[in-house]
Amino acid sequence: MKAAPAPTPIENLRKRMEGLRQIPTIPAVLAPLIRYIQQPVEQLDVQKITDMIAQDKSLAAQCLEMANSPLFGRWQKVETLRAAVIGLGFQRVGDIAMSCGVLNLLPRDGRGIDPVAFWEHSLGCALVSRHLARMISFPDPGKAYLAGLLHDIGVIVNLWVLPKEFQEAFQIGRQESIPLHEAERRVMGFDHCESGRFLAEKWGLPADLIQVVAFHHTPVQSSDQTGLVALIELSDLLCRMSGLNHGYVEARQVDVQEEPGFAILAEKCALLKQFDWARLTFELDSYMDDVHALVRTIYRK
Amino acid sequence: MTTAPTPASTAQEGPPDPDLVRLRDLIYQTAGIFHPDNKLRLLLDRCGRRMKALNTRTLREYFECLTVRPTKQAEMVALLNEITIGETCFFRNQPQLDALRQVVLPKIIAAKAKLPIRRIRIWSAGCSTGEEPYTLSMLLMEETKGQLKDWTIEILATDLNERSLAHAQTALYGTYSTRNLTPFYRQKYFTSVETQLQVMPAARANITFSRLNLSDDARMIFMKSLDLIFCCNVLIYFDLASKRRVIQHFYNNLLPHGYFFMGHSESLYGVSEDFHLVHLPGATGYIKGERRTGGGTQL
Repeated sequence: MKAAPAPTPIENLRKRMEGLRQIPTIPAVLAPLIRYIQQPVEQLDVQKITDMIAQDKSLAAQCLEMANSPLFGRWQKVETLRAAVIGLGFQRVGDIAMSCGVLNLLPRDGRGIDPVAFWEHSLGCALVSRHLARMISFPDPGKAYLAGLLHDIGVIVNLWVLPKEFQEAFQIGRQESIPLHEAERRVMGFDHCESGRFLAEKWGLPADLIQVVAFHHTPVQSSDQTGLVALIELSDLLCRMSGLNHGYVEARQVDVQEEPGFAILAEKCALLKQFDWARLTFELDSYMDDVHALVRTIYRK
Repeated sequence: MTTAPTPASTAQEGPPDPDLVRLRDLIYQTAGIFHPDNKLRLLLDRCGRRMKALNTRTLREYFECLTVRPTKQAEMVALLNEITIGETCFFRNQPQLDALRQVVLPKIIAAKAKLPIRRIRIWSAGCSTGEEPYTLSMLLMEETKGQLKDWTIEILATDLNERSLAHAQTALYGTYSTRNLTPFYRQKYFTSVETQLQVMPAARANITFSRLNLSDDARMIFMKSLDLIFCCNVLIYFDLASKRRVIQHFYNNLLPHGYFFMGHSESLYGVSEDFHLVHLPGATGYIKGERRTGGGTQL
């Protein structure tokens, strides 16, 4: 009798994920909130949004904390959620709620990866993606923010489901100063793009965000037609080459214009061809202090 | 209306002052040096000093001093001097030096692997009082036990200012210049001379100091076969046409695998399309792109 072929590493992961009760979930209030905010502005109601966020007390407190960070362009202290919604607008408050929501998803013990560094990278990527999107007139900067925030959720899966293997991969990445996804593939046979895709589908994220999670290291393979995946590939790379990395720097040289994402995005956004990458890199520097401060405040609560 | 900066007003948190942002953008456009939002306070402080000297009350008025008044060019130079003051020290840009050691040197070594002569040639263009070339000399000497084993290190250090060069050649430095030195480098490469520190002869032997005007085309073409060029906070004083000329020389002076480095937050945007920006861990540098072939402009 012929033996059944051995399951691939990713099939193993899927099996283990299905058997695991503790799969991280986004806070219950977020999915309806994100859906609600997608509606035309004239249909939105300040009180309704405030009530939705207030259902989750700790989320509400974190949202206020974040709303007062200079990263969200607010210079006068806001004391209430209502004031935050009025002062910052619906989109920003949605971004903030989502950021706080996902910030709580990593196991607090870190399991070998510094959760602060991980979220600094995700939040940094969200901010850089939104900034880049605006600079090149990408049609949906709000989506770029969300995509930047969520692109690495596969890391969360790997930490929950295969903590030992992931830890080993992370150590190899750090010791050899190579990209995390390369180290993951070497140790586990797959990377956070593949595992992230499971989680993104399980959470019921929109199709474009699933594409970002699954293909942000290989944008050419994505079916995305908007350039969103390519945009995230580029801002992720910039963050990893700067102080907004995963907790270690990759010892390599990157020419953004030679990246596969550049050609894809340049087709959608003509402004990219003359884009001042040096200036964006210097601007990214100025996010760093605020991102460090914000993630640390929220995480240490 | 914006009032002249005072210590009290700079201590306040607030959105960036639009007049200050306008000044920041003017400086970036004319000099190529960028102040991100978290450095705006520093910029305000530097402008404040110039405003005090000119008895100018508002940033808006000062903007006019830099753009409209007959003395605008001299004032821009004065402001740039304020901006770069105190920048000169050993190990000024550590991420750039780390990237050099970790990423750039291995690439240069690989590119020259088949050549019979193992020699690395570096030019510190606008070396001022010598901290940069000495830093590079020490850093590379540390590598001669590893990746640069049996390599000859040649550092050319040039400046326009003879007094700066004379200082560089004494290799004597006070506490301000040496503030970033780790005990390791201090002990290994310096000796104490009264209250100062002097670079030891071994680290000085790799360096040739000479006077050179970067606008002197006849002499610029003789700077040949370079692997690395450093030119930090020098081009900020050049107008666009002169900058382009100097950069064209740098491009020709570099070997095909060569790298060009500028100061922290300094950029070549809008100056050169031949050099390509590359991201290195925690730093940026420029490499030689493909030569333009036709006569037309290529984006």
